[in-house]
Amino acid sequence: MKMWKHGRSLADEPARQPKWALKELIDRLDGDREFLRELLVIFRQDLRVNLQKSHEAIRKSDYEQLSRAAHTMKGMLRNLSMDVAGETAAALETASRESRGSDSKELLESLEKELEEILPEVEAQLAGVRS
Amino acid sequence: MRILVAEDDALSRTLLERTLQRAGYAVISVENGAQAIAELVKEDAPRLALLDWIMPEVDGVEVCRELRRRKEQAYTYLILLSSRESKEDIVAGLESGADDYLTKPFNVDELKARLRTGLRILELEDHLVEARESMRFQATHDLLTSLWNRGVIVELMTHEIMRSRRERSCTSVMMCDIDHFKAVNDQYGHATGDDVLREVARRLHNSVRSYDMVGRYGGEEFLVALNKCNPGSAISRAENLRNKIAGRPIQTANKPVSVTISIGLALSTEFTECTIEEIMHHADMALYAAKAAGRNCVRVARPSGIGTPTAEQPKETQVLTP
Repeated sequence: MKMWKHGRSLADEPARQPKWALKELIDRLDGDREFLRELLVIFRQDLRVNLQKSHEAIRKSDYEQLSRAAHTMKGMLRNLSMDVAGETAAALETASRESRGSDSKELLESLEKELEEILPEVEAQLAGVRS
Repeated sequence: MRILVAEDDALSRTLLERTLQRAGYAVISVENGAQAIAELVKEDAPRLALLDWIMPEVDGVEVCRELRRRKEQAYTYLILLSSRESKEDIVAGLESGADDYLTKPFNVDELKARLRTGLRILELEDHLVEARESMRFQATHDLLTSLWNRGVIVELMTHEIMRSRRERSCTSVMMCDIDHFKAVNDQYGHATGDDVLREVARRLHNSVRSYDMVGRYGGEEFLVALNKCNPGSAISRAENLRNKIAGRPIQTANKPVSVTISIGLALSTEFTECTIEEIMHHADMALYAAKAAGRNCVRVARPSGIGTPTAEQPKETQVLTP
């Protein structure tokens, strides 16, 4: 179970960071796909809740609530090796902590776009593991 | 080994739980800092804890501060989990009392290695506490008999007499000495003499109440202090101690050895104007009188007048004025 592959040379780095390093995640979970499914079920549910909270916080300009929701999403995304979206969530956390309203709004939109690309894969994994 | 995980994010918590269970830990999970404190202050609390930095209401740093504020319990090794990476945050975390920190998402091997470090520290702490307790015992107890040593029994008795004077109760001070102990050593050897000392100590200790005090005062001399003692029953309690020794032989490694003790008794209520040293001196004089009267008997020190044995008092007991 490894989070980072040590000793990998720069030449091996992909030109573009993958949206979801699924293989790395599965390695980290010792190939336990049932556990992966368990985590993805939690992810799907908690992500929805935190996105709702984020929208609500933007509407109310409640940057504290927004930074808390972004913080939670950042943790979930990084834990699931969804690093690109994880970085966007981190930027959203920082922007909201600094009460930067328009930046926060833009970052939340970017985050949702990135998630749109990942969520079908998440659903596919959930369906695949079930069958 | 049990470990506490405090993490409000369900996904991180589940991931941590599973990882730790696979590494052989028994995991107790909670969702916030207040629950973490409640778990960690329990008597049988886990000694290792992984605390998320950011949690609603009471965060990980607060948990560390609160636990370090309470110093009465065994040491808990605290690791903060954070996605923060700035040096200031790390310093603040460690200054709150955390032992270590890990950044999220955690690397499993690193997590396991840091927990092993925690276990080493806890083991070291346990050894130090054990050594301290052992040294504390050795500093306060007589090594041969495990009774209080001379310094401690005199100190405890002093406190007790002061208390009984405040509370107008009575402390009974008894100097007990094994009769002809030198002959035991000469006849059977020092190993048997030690067996006799140990057994006399055990019988004295087992014959008093848990809040009374027994200490080894010198070679074959023991000091017994009975707290909140009814002055009227002090003599019969001294007789009881004497009989516990004289009543049956002591089984030593060699053979059964019969010994007796002489007791000099002084009641604190009889010597209200005396210092502790003077009360002990009176008890000692009564002990000499018991020896002079033929041993295996009790003599009571009185501040005035020479008492004579009453019908209720056993013939071995006489009251004397030092």
